[in-house]
Amino acid sequence: MEHSDTDPTRREFLRRTGQATLTGLAAPWLLNLSAMGEAAAFASTDYKALVCVFLFGGNDYANTVVAYDDASYAKYATIRAAGSGGTNGVALDKDALAATLLKPTTALPQGRQFALNPAMKGLANLFNTGKAAVQLNVGPLIVPLTRDQYNSSNRLKYPLPPKLFSHNDQQSVWQSSSPEGSTIGWGGKMGDVALSNNSDSLFTCISLSGNSVLLAGDSALQYQCSTSGAIAVRNLSNNFFYQTEIKNAFAAMLQQPRKHVLENEYNTVMKRGITAQAKVAQGLSTVQLQTAFPAANALGNQLKMVAQLIGARNSLGAKRQVFMVSLGGFDLHDYLNTKHAPLLQQIDDALSAFYQATVELGVADKVTAFTASDFGRTLASNGDGSDHGWGSHHLMVGGAVKGAAFYGTAPPVSITDTMAPDDQWHVGQGRLLPSTSVDQYAATLAKWFGVADSEMGSLLPNLKNFGVAAGRPDYPTNLGFMA
Amino acid sequence: MDEAEVASAPGTGVAVLGAAALLQACGGSGTPSPVAPSLPDANLTASYQAARFLQHAQFSSSEAEIAAVRSQGDSAWLDGQMALNSSLGAWDWLKQRGYDVIDENRFYEMEFQSNYMAWYQIMASPDGVRRRIALALSEFFVVGGAGVGTLTWGQFAMGAYWDVLCKNAFGNFRVLLEEITLNIAMGEFLNTLGNQKEDATTGRLPDENYAREVMQLFTIGLLQLNVDGTPKLGANGQALETFTQSDVSNLARVFTGYESDNSEGYSQSAIAPTYTIRNVGYTRRPMVLNAKRHSSLRAEFLGAVVEAGTDGKTALKIALDTLFQHPNVGPFFARQMIQRLVCSDPSPNYVARVATVFNNNGKGERGDLAAVFKAILLDTEATSAAGLTSTTFGKLREPMVRTAQWGRTFNATSLKGTWKIGNPNYSAVDALGQSPLQAPSVFNFFRPGYIPPSTAMALSKATAPEFQLVNESTTASYINYLQNFLINGMWVRAPELIISPDAATVTDGPDIVPDYTAELALVGKPVELINRLNLLLCAGQLSSETVTMMVTALSYDQANASSSDSTKRSYVAKALMFVMCCSEYLVQK
Repeated sequence: MEHSDTDPTRREFLRRTGQATLTGLAAPWLLNLSAMGEAAAFASTDYKALVCVFLFGGNDYANTVVAYDDASYAKYATIRAAGSGGTNGVALDKDALAATLLKPTTALPQGRQFALNPAMKGLANLFNTGKAAVQLNVGPLIVPLTRDQYNSSNRLKYPLPPKLFSHNDQQSVWQSSSPEGSTIGWGGKMGDVALSNNSDSLFTCISLSGNSVLLAGDSALQYQCSTSGAIAVRNLSNNFFYQTEIKNAFAAMLQQPRKHVLENEYNTVMKRGITAQAKVAQGLSTVQLQTAFPAANALGNQLKMVAQLIGARNSLGAKRQVFMVSLGGFDLHDYLNTKHAPLLQQIDDALSAFYQATVELGVADKVTAFTASDFGRTLASNGDGSDHGWGSHHLMVGGAVKGAAFYGTAPPVSITDTMAPDDQWHVGQGRLLPSTSVDQYAATLAKWFGVADSEMGSLLPNLKNFGVAAGRPDYPTNLGFMA
Repeated sequence: MDEAEVASAPGTGVAVLGAAALLQACGGSGTPSPVAPSLPDANLTASYQAARFLQHAQFSSSEAEIAAVRSQGDSAWLDGQMALNSSLGAWDWLKQRGYDVIDENRFYEMEFQSNYMAWYQIMASPDGVRRRIALALSEFFVVGGAGVGTLTWGQFAMGAYWDVLCKNAFGNFRVLLEEITLNIAMGEFLNTLGNQKEDATTGRLPDENYAREVMQLFTIGLLQLNVDGTPKLGANGQALETFTQSDVSNLARVFTGYESDNSEGYSQSAIAPTYTIRNVGYTRRPMVLNAKRHSSLRAEFLGAVVEAGTDGKTALKIALDTLFQHPNVGPFFARQMIQRLVCSDPSPNYVARVATVFNNNGKGERGDLAAVFKAILLDTEATSAAGLTSTTFGKLREPMVRTAQWGRTFNATSLKGTWKIGNPNYSAVDALGQSPLQAPSVFNFFRPGYIPPSTAMALSKATAPEFQLVNESTTASYINYLQNFLINGMWVRAPELIISPDAATVTDGPDIVPDYTAELALVGKPVELINRLNLLLCAGQLSSETVTMMVTALSYDQANASSSDSTKRSYVAKALMFVMCCSEYLVQK
């Protein structure tokens, strides 16, 4: 990093006003060749929705859910104070954390305490009032691993998730258990088993964040809506073509089936969009949300549209939905001090408003939001940022979350490479070795959503290596954070 | 008025449809048939082939270029283009506009003029082949403009980055790799700039970002590859990864100690609060090494060793030579460049042919980019007729390439000469979804391994990277975006000024305007007009059924040679809307 010559606040302002950045571009994904099994449907009469809040770039866990008890904080501060020029490095001040201290109904063992980043006052409040919880040290695993096993050369017995520490691949692994190229994700598989509950299957899996493999199922498609709602093709309704016959010919061309597979796919998406747009516009016209969402907040804009679509659920015929929203910018190798808190502030403002909107819509206990990210980062500092890691802490928010609680195990605060117990839960530089797998996390959400135990294996191919049936009761298939 | 008559007369449309269909069916009474009769078929086929080659090699295919390719042959024409000197560079272009001035406009705090620069470069600068190749390289060695907005004179840093790509487009990969590594925009984007060595006292470690991405994205990738780009498999059938976290942490030491070269001095800003501003020239100077901040630890990566105490320059040479000599580079780079220029899912044999040229250009040189791009563009898989009848060959034209093609085909020019084309993604409702040099991250706009879920491509495991941008929102938004400028050109705020005021001005209006002279002459002659667009924009890849459909549709528009200019422009724009939204155009074969 090199600091600019001028006032950064003013520069941010000028850049914002000067030019908008790209909108609606998704991050990467991709390839599961898993068998296309027929999913059994489940019947439901109520409404439930899951909302994945993906933090692109790999969120810095250590400055998000911050070690707070004196012993842990002291270690954290020492490790993270490794800055340049006598500064505090990338450690947060303890005084600033008091207002966001998390107060679980059952205290963690060994006096461990955590606070959220000072920017996350709304979420700390949701946690402390029982509407949010924290899953500690969760990340992709194929089998439970110790650090010794991670370092083992026996990869048949101790397989690692593919392409660890790589952004695009770990985004995909989080969402689909497979790296870039994957085409089936666990949100989409949930959609497969829920499809029959919805009168229009297209509105089962909805992304506000472009293409995401999370929402791709065998049968379930992901419908991709914008923060402005469904986008109409203007010239199908305005006077650009003027003559109805020309307009009709254009509309037919756009939606025509093709023999060429790329052409056909383009037109298929086009046709789906045109068909859905009319329904979405009709549905949204019936929704008047009173809850104020934060302005100039990319995540807030997406969550506001999710809330409006949930408000339109009856019109759209939806009983089970999985949504995907996202915020980018978390790859803070640099500028962690100046850029991280504003991102977390956006999450805090957006998720707080979203929870309020679900209260307003009367579905607070029917909607569960949860965070996910490429990976956690190093606890060690590179001077003004942190580098790619593995396990991370994540948040679950909603009336059905058994809140004011931590799930999983608090990792020791250490970056050294010794045989001591404190060094067994990271794989170097404080890159956390997950003590809970994404499969366990996802299975807990899926169970609440209505997925039967017998269906879990088709969603989460590695779940079979966890839980009582696998002889690992210390890695339960239901983490217990959902009511 | 013509339109109102048709629209208000029930039944008229049906009659016209019947007549038009009849005309096409029998080629009858004075109306030309949809298959252009002006050239014998052999000539038309040759023109289509030339246009197809031109649209792979550059952004567009004018009548003059088609004629030149036909007379010189593909290979000789390409040699001629590659031999041309690079035209005015982006850095100099920005300076020529006046963006280097330190005044109350505070250009030194801005990056967004790199949009103007990049759009001018791909839409109007004269050497189209070099610019097209540079654009492909910009999607491999990615710097996203928004990610360097923290730099003073960010737009010039982006200009210097683009100039490095243009300068080396037909040079050697190893030279390009080093210039990109030391480029200040890349330095800021992936954190080599200001990266410091480890500090044993505090526990601070080198930043690992560039070390990881230079391996993962710019040279060798994550999996060991055969020369045809397929992954090598280990004894248990698993793909083999190329490097470990230890390789990253070790290589990171090599990229420590780099700082900006401020030897061109400083100036005071003009108005309060005054700052000392680095003079703009620093943005095109390679980063310099501060030995005191460079790690002196031993570093071991990919089987190579930088011994403890090695000087930074030597360490960099060892690192880049090691990466460059890795057998993965040829197939890894070749497959992605084929994807950018020719087809989304190239055959392993095509990749192998190009990778072999990368490995050795026939004269013993590794990494000869002119030879690599010639091999890509002249390969039989790119040129053979089989690709035209296949149901899988080709690629979705990138949105930004469509816009550049429109501009070049119709000689679009900035009336005021300011070329203020911003990032066309301000609103989700009418966005292009892409803008040159503005990828959202180092992972580009889409991934080379992307396979669209729930599609025929997913069943056959066929990659289709550009489809990562395709969804129910962006397909509609693209059409709305086109409507904003197809008739009268691109609307610009205060086009006579190099700045963009926040509020509307009286001069706001179309400034990037097309020259539709040839097309306006064909108003009322839908067969000729569609055939012309089919050749120039589609290399003849619209099927006869589609041409017939478009001609039939346009026949409902009563505009003709004596209509008003605005009526005629609308007619041309309707034809363009059909062509540029047609899947046979969007998927380039």
